[in-house]
Parts: sequence; C-alpha cells; structure tokens
Amino acid sequence: MPSDDLRAQTLDHQSPSDLEGIPHTGEAVRSDGHLVEPQAKDFEHAKAAPRDPYWYKHAVFYEVLVRAFHDSDCNGTGDLTGLTQKLDYLQWLGVDCLWLPPFYASPLRDGGYDISDYRAVLPEFGTVEDFVVLLDEAHKRGIRVITDLVMNHTSDQHPWFQESRRDPDGPYGDYYVWSDKDTGYADARIIFVDTEGSNWTYDPVRGQFYWHRFFSHQPDLNYENPAVGDAMIDVLRFWLDLGIDGFRLDAVPYLFEQEGTNCENLPRTHEFLKRCRKVVDDEYPDRVLLAEANQWPADVVEYFGDAAVGGDEAHMAFHFPLMPRIFMAVRRESRFPISEILAQTPTIPSGCQWGIFLRNHDELTLEMVTDEERDYMYSEYVKDPRMRANIGIRRRLAPLLDNDRNQLELFTALLLSLPGSPVLYYGDEIGMGDNIWLGDRDSVRTPMQWTPDRNAGFSRCDPGRIYLPVIMDPVYGYQAVNVEAQSTSSQSLLNWTRRMIQVRREHPAFGLGDFTELGCSNPSVLAYLRKYTDDGNDLVICVNNMSRFPQPVELDLSEYQDGVPVELTGGVRFPPIGELPYLLTLPGHGFYWFNIELPTPDVTRDQYRC
Amino acid sequence: MTNTAADLIADISDSLAAVLPEQRWFAGKDRPIRAVLPVRATDLAGSDPRLIHAVVEVDQGESYRDRYQLMLGVRSDLPEFLGHAWVAACGDHAVYQAVHDPELTAVLLDLMARGVEVDGLGFATEPGVTLDTEQRSRPVGAEQSNTSLVYGQTYILKLFRKLAAGRSPDLELHRALTAVGCKHIAALLGSIEGALGADPVTYGMMSEFLRSAAEGWAMATASVRDLLADNQVIEGAPGHAQPNDPADAGGDFASEARRLGHAVATVHTDLATALGVSVASRGYLDALAAGMQRRLHRVVSQVAELAPHADVLRAAFDEVRDVDAPVPLQRIHGDLHLGQVLRTVSRWVLIDFEGEPMIPLADRIAPASALRDVAGMLRSFDYAAHHVPLGDADPEIHAAAALAWTTRNQEAFCDGYAQVAADPRKDAALLRAFELDKAIYEVSYEHANRPAWLPIPLAAVARLTS
Ligand SMILES: Nc1ncnc2c1ncn2[C@@H]1O[C@H](COP(=O)(O)OP(=O)(O)OP(=O)(O)O)[C@@H](O)[C@H]1O
Repeated sequence: MPSDDLRAQTLDHQSPSDLEGIPHTGEAVRSDGHLVEPQAKDFEHAKAAPRDPYWYKHAVFYEVLVRAFHDSDCNGTGDLTGLTQKLDYLQWLGVDCLWLPPFYASPLRDGGYDISDYRAVLPEFGTVEDFVVLLDEAHKRGIRVITDLVMNHTSDQHPWFQESRRDPDGPYGDYYVWSDKDTGYADARIIFVDTEGSNWTYDPVRGQFYWHRFFSHQPDLNYENPAVGDAMIDVLRFWLDLGIDGFRLDAVPYLFEQEGTNCENLPRTHEFLKRCRKVVDDEYPDRVLLAEANQWPADVVEYFGDAAVGGDEAHMAFHFPLMPRIFMAVRRESRFPISEILAQTPTIPSGCQWGIFLRNHDELTLEMVTDEERDYMYSEYVKDPRMRANIGIRRRLAPLLDNDRNQLELFTALLLSLPGSPVLYYGDEIGMGDNIWLGDRDSVRTPMQWTPDRNAGFSRCDPGRIYLPVIMDPVYGYQAVNVEAQSTSSQSLLNWTRRMIQVRREHPAFGLGDFTELGCSNPSVLAYLRKYTDDGNDLVICVNNMSRFPQPVELDLSEYQDGVPVELTGGVRFPPIGELPYLLTLPGHGFYWFNIELPTPDVTRDQYRC
Repeated sequence: MTNTAADLIADISDSLAAVLPEQRWFAGKDRPIRAVLPVRATDLAGSDPRLIHAVVEVDQGESYRDRYQLMLGVRSDLPEFLGHAWVAACGDHAVYQAVHDPELTAVLLDLMARGVEVDGLGFATEPGVTLDTEQRSRPVGAEQSNTSLVYGQTYILKLFRKLAAGRSPDLELHRALTAVGCKHIAALLGSIEGALGADPVTYGMMSEFLRSAAEGWAMATASVRDLLADNQVIEGAPGHAQPNDPADAGGDFASEARRLGHAVATVHTDLATALGVSVASRGYLDALAAGMQRRLHRVVSQVAELAPHADVLRAAFDEVRDVDAPVPLQRIHGDLHLGQVLRTVSRWVLIDFEGEPMIPLADRIAPASALRDVAGMLRSFDYAAHHVPLGDADPEIHAAAALAWTTRNQEAFCDGYAQVAADPRKDAALLRAFELDKAIYEVSYEHANRPAWLPIPLAAVARLTS
C-alpha cells in the first residue's frame, strides 16, 4: 500500500529517539488510518517467576535506573543488558523485585515519563528482546520486575498525538483533550508551578488548545473516549504477555476530567482502574499494580478499591507522608511525627500493601507535610538552595544524614520494619553521595559505583562520554564508596544492609504482620509490635531511639509475660518478660529488633507461680 | 480468719504506723506517727485472697488528723511476687498492699463495671460506658502522690490516698469537661465515691489510659538537651562563642508549645462553658494582691537573695489592684505545668485537675483567673530550660541558650493560646503578677529543699522585674 508508506514517512515522531530498524508504533498505517503497533507475539516471552499471590506484601523492592546501573556496550549509558549482568549482585543483596522507571521510547524531556511509544524500548537502553532476557534472568534468580507506566499522558512526540493534531477526524482525532478555549476545568491546580502557567496549551497545527496536567509537552489522553482505555489496556497486555510482574501506574489521580471539580480522584478514574485490575486478575495472576498517588493516606486508600473483596484497584500504593516524617522525627528527637502519621493511616484491604521509601529518583517530596513542617525540613536539611526542587529536597540518603553511620542504620531499620514493603534506592545500600551541581533531579541519578577503577566500574567508555559524571569527592567518591570494597568488608554498610534484609526475610511479621505502636513514656523512643498469626506465631518488637543521646525505655509487654526477647541480628537472648514493665536502654540513634519466643503452652502462668 | 475487716485493721494498726512513712503518698513524713486509727473498713471480696477497703486516720499529734485510703489484701500464703507489698502478719495470714495483686484489683474493676454499692462505697461507670473486665492491672511506676493502676493498657484507675472532705475537683472537672465534649482530657469512665460523716468523698476515678502518651516535661527537656548539645559543639570551634538559635535547632519545641497553648486555651474555654464565668470584683483583686504581698513578705524574710527585688515586687503586685480591664473568673486547672500535660499521637491532654497542692479544698475549687494556669506553664518552660545539667558547657552560653529557648517556647505557647482565647499577653500586669507569685513560691521551695536550684526562680524574678 504505497499510500500508507507515504503516510508513515510523513509521521515525524522519531527525531528524539531514533527507532530506525527497531519494531515500533507507526512503522506502517492501515488503510483506515490506524497505526500498526508491535504485538507481544512478535517476541519471545520470559518464564514466569515462582507462584506466590501475595509476594508483594513481603518483598523488598529496589528502584534502579537502567541508565545509571551498568553500561554493557561502552557508550556511556547504562542499558538493560548491563542491568542483566548485575542481577547476581541484586540477588546476593536479597532484593525481591526491581522497579525500573520508564525505559520506553521517549524524547526524554521528563526523564522518560514522556513516552513516545509504549511498545518500544529507548534504543540507548536496548530492545524489547533485551528486556525479555532481563525478565527471564531475573525470574531465574527469584527476582521480579515492575516498571512505570504513564497512563495519563504521552509525549507530544507519540504517533497518537501527531495523528490527533494532524487529523481531527481520523481514528486518533479524539485521543486527547482538545478545546477551542483555554478556560475549561479552571478548578484543577497547576502541578508544575515552576514551569507551567496553564493546564492548556495552544497547538498551531490543529488550531486548538490541548489539556495537560504536567508539562506542556505531555498532552493528557482523553479517557472519555473508550478507544483510549482499550488502547491502554492493550499496552498492559503487551508487557504482561512478555512476562513483566507488574506496573507502577504513574500519576493515576488525573485520568479523567470533569468540569466543576479539581479533576483529581474522580469516580470514573477509579472505574478505569478497576477495569485494569480485572484484566490482571483474570488473565495474569501474581502480577501487581502499584498506584502512584501523591495524596494523604486517607485519600490514597481509595486506590485500593473495595475492601470487602480485599481490594479491586491497585495492589499497592506509596505512602508518601511517612518519609518526611521519619526525617522529622529523628531531627526532633521525637517519635510523634511518625506515630501521628501512622495513627492517621487507615487500615487497607487485606490484599493490599503500602510501598514505603526513604529516597527515590525524585526529590524528597514535601507536599505531604504542613507548611510549618516544610519550612522546618528546608532549614534542617537544605542549607543550600540548589538542593531544592519544586517542593522537595534533591539529595541522597547518606549526605542528608551527614554520612552518619548510626543514623543510616536507624533509618534503614525503620524502613525495613515499619508497615509496608520497603523500596530501596539504588546506591543507598553503599551510602552513595549526590552531586548538587547537576541540574534538575540529576544530582541523585549518577552512575552506580561498583569498583574503585575508572568510571567506578560502571562503564569502560571514555570518561567524557558518561551520561553524568561519577561522584568523585573525597567522602562519597567511587574510590571511597563502591560495591567491591564494601562487599569484602564485614563491617560495611552494604553487608549490614544485606544482613538486615536477610533477617527481615526470616520473619513474616515484617511484611504480613499487624502493626501496633507500643506506648512508652519516653517521647524519643518509638517502639512497635509486628505480629503475624495466620501461619504460626511470629512476634517481632522493634524499638528505635530517635535521639542522639542514650535513652531508657520501659515497655509494657505483660501480654507476653514469660516470653523471651531474642535480638534478631545476633541471636542474643534477653531476660524473660516479667510482671513489671520491660526495661531497655538504647544507645544514641540505636535500635533493637526482637523476636519474642513465647513459652510452650503447657507452662501456664499459674503453674509458674505456685 | 473470721475477724471482721474493722477488727483486722485495728489489729495491725502498729504495723500500719511502721509502714505508712515508707509510702510515697504518705504526706506526714516529717512528723512521727502516734497512732493509726481505723475510720471504716469494708470487705470487698473473698476469703483467700481477701480484699479490704479501709480508711484510717493518722494521729501525728496535731488537732487535724489526715485520712488515708488503704487497699489491703489478706492471703494465707503470700506468693513471692507480692513479697515487697507485705504489711503485717495477722494470725497465720499475711496482710499486704492489694494494689500489687492483679487478682484483687480485678475486683475493683468488676465492681465498677457492675455499678454496685458496697457498704456505702459507690462503684459506678459514667453514662454510656461499658468496661471490659478481662483487663489485668499493674501499678504505674511513677513517683506519685496517689496510686494509679493501669488495666491492660486500656484504663487507668487513680486511687486517692490522702482524702479530703468533698468531691475531688479532678473527678468533678473531668465530668464537667466530658459533658461538653472536651477533646483535651482523658475520657472519664467511672468513679468510686462515698461519704465520710456528712461529707462526700472521692476514693477513685477511672479514665481512659492514653497508651501512646509522653509527658510534656520529657519532651521539653529532650528539646533543651538537643539545643545545648549543639551549643557545646559550637563552643569547641574557635571564634564561635555565640549560642545557637533554638529556632534552628533540630529538636525545636515551638510547634509543640504552640499546639499545647491551643489545647490549654480550649480546656479553659470548655471549663467556662461547662461551669460558668464571672467577673472579678475590686474586692477580689484587692484580696488577690494582698495574698501575693503576704507570700512575698514571708519569703523575703527567709531568703536574703530576694531582698534587692522586694520593692519592685511589691509595686508589681500592687498593680493587680488597679487592673482596669474586667478579669474573668472561672474554674481552672490550678496546678498546670509541663508534668501535667501528656502528648498523645493526636493531641495534647491535660491531666490531674486536683488543683494547687497543699491548700484547702474550698480554695482549690474557687473560680480564678485562667492566667494563673498560663503563668504556671510559662514558669514550667523556664524550669525545663534550666533542668538539663550543665556538663562542661560555658555557663554564660548555657544561660543564654536556656533563656532563648524559654522565650521562644513561651511566646509560641501564648501564640497557640491566642488562637482560641484572649491573648494572655494583653493582660500583661496580671500575667506578670501571677508569674512572679509563682516564682516567689519557687524561691521559697528551692531555698528549703534544693538550694542548688534557687538561681532559676531568682533569675526569673530579676528578669520579670527589670
Ligand atoms: N490517662 C492517662 N493515660 C496515661 N498516663 C496517665 C494518665 N493519667 C495519668 N497518667 C500518668 O500517671 C502519672 C500520675 O498521674 P496523676 O498526675 O493523675 O496522679 P497524681 O497522683 O495526682 O500525681 P501527682 O503526684 O502529680 O499529684 C502521670 O504523671 C502520667 O504520666
């Protein structure tokens, strides 16, 4: 069909990421105007990971940027094959699931969250085939892989948008939210206040305004059009068929718009999520949906769906406010910032789990704290204005904590023991630093530091070619901080973190247990009980000292009288719990994890007494 | 054992006389006991173990004899874990303090849940309250003038020890505040009340136990410690002799102080709603000023260091007579300080509405200016700032930091208070007089008991009068 070929050539969507020679959307166009999109059957599929319907409830997640992890082809940019080569390390560390931010074809004007083709891999990262190999190798090691999917919008370079602006009456004419006026949905806030003046932008090609909740180069898809929902579900199926273990659904609250509302969390948005979930439940068991909704926990629970059926929307959602509260609690030497937010966190449906994190690829988000707390966080953690981005802090964990080993351990212990599945950020396990001189959010996206050799062992290319310079300062530079050195030192942060992950794995209470805060009169000590009773009895007590000074604490453990607390990292047995409050002393920023060994049932309390 | 409860108490009165002075809650430690006399005794449960409720009068050679409430257990065989509670032998039985015996304290919970009266002792729950009687109790470890039992982390029962004739203001105000839905108290759940002669008497009150609570005092001193530790680091650095600004310190307390001020003002407003407000007469203000002058006069004669300030102080108290703006009078807490407030995960809570210790009940329940509570809190911030040991810090920098901390948190407290009720700083003369009066009481107390602490209230007097 020569006319189709001609049309394909007129589509100018490939300039930012050249997909020449790689199967991609819009290589051909059918006579009815529909773009031809790659299908999952065109590729090999990965073998599934071992069955476990609730794996995400007790998994340790690890966020890794493909670009930053390992470069297999010496071009200065990490790639999927490079990541595959480092799976042994991740397995050794004890990671259960990788979360990869988007690796789709993209002009990269928003870190890949501006997707120009849902069915193609960004060429510098590799190909769909490379991704299938990664999946397969990960599954062999018992590691699952999820990735981001941006459903709310595409890049303006996506062939759907190009078609939509070019041909209002074609099959894609109604794929985006077009309007003759720029006055609609006036109650929707502008999210990127630093760069965007309006949620509407004029398109000279079509002669209309299009709607966008994020950057103006990211037009929102029009979910009022049923074809858009169908197309997005087909995208889900494409990757699920290849064997992916789930998606982090980016920016979910914004799918639908409705005049007179703030256009967030609308009922139709939830309906669509339920539809996605049903596809997963019916066709792809053991896969998960993780909702990214930067809202208060009481609102986020809506994204878990109906509690009566254990949840029928997302399986997981991030708990955003917890993270800044952890930082506040330690700075204030008070447990209350954490206690308060956990007390305000509603229970979630039985099949659901929170995702919790200390740092991720974005700034430390401060949207979910009060103004007063935000000023405080700035004054405490951000001495230099360059460290701030939008409403947040762009630093890695170690520099935020002045590289203080005790605090790094305390924070990690909290992350691994508070309710939710922990998400580690690549490099934080070795205490990597940041480079605040790099623009945007790049300061926390520098290459992983593997060895003290050239380019930190990340790439064998000419150092000038690396996508971002490796960290080189004397404290955090790769010569001081790298995987190779730390893996051979038993005292290193890396080995300590690995050990803690192992301990966590041995106790289902961490992932599956109830959470109860244990009251105590010392405001600097946060103590809680994690209790799992479904399958045997697993009781874990975590006691954390938020203060830099040693602290005593008396815990009422009388419910477990005659039980023996066994410290989890060293196996040391502590004195049995008696009638009186249990007294512990903690060093500054110290913490304990105890398993409570209960006396065998035939020795009752009364027998003891007589 | 067939003797009656009253006989048993009489039998062991010598032992009681020996044991009472060892009790934290016994108020007459400074004078020898001549005799312990039973006033009433009631069997509450069982034979072995047996629970006896008793009121005794302690003769210490004065015209007025203090009365105390006792809970005694009797067992034929005292288990080891109760050994420390032993009081006396009575025949082949042991008499001991029953508050340590969960089996017997369960009886109190049970009687209250059932709402029964035993021999004039009325056990009752508040309207709409149902108690779970499965909870076991333990006494709280705290240094206390009464005895509180915590039932399974759910309820706390305060058993009043030294009994005053008349209903306890703690019970009365908790009831009144509960009735108007006050959020900043622990919910009142039940009570034990009775009569001694013609007077009503409160034996106990049951409240919701706030398991997540920490005392305001502990939080405030943690903040001070954090600030002072930073100062020490900076001192070591050459050319840095400036104290740190508490606003920049990691452990800043100001947002808590603000919320606390908000909570105290809310309780004051609720007390006014529940029990009314009147306006102070000239005569009231004259009497108030005169009382302050009297205390000043007495303390100046005891503590020489106060003399240089005496004139200014007299003038400050005289100003109370001339306060122009109407002074509202209402029921107040009466003994408010950072040890009487608990921080829970959701809010600040005020506890222990007994009022000022050591003064007669009639004076404790008399309406007063809410500024007295505010002044108590402001003084408490000052104490918290100076309570943390000096260590090897430079005393001057330490003092400057402590003062900066005090000022910042006092202001934050008043800011929070002013969000709900009238800004206490607007009534400057009266507020200052209450603060000074409190400081002079502190001077007298420290002079007699802890001379090392005397500089704290003295410095406050100097500051407030300068
Ligand atoms: N509702 C409650 N929940 C938790 N803890 C409480 C509660 N009420 C009191 N407490 C704790 O018990 C301690 C004693 O309580 P309270 O002040 O009522 O007793 P008290 O005998 O009148 O004390 P004081 O010796 O100060 O007169 C308090 O300091 C507080 O720590």
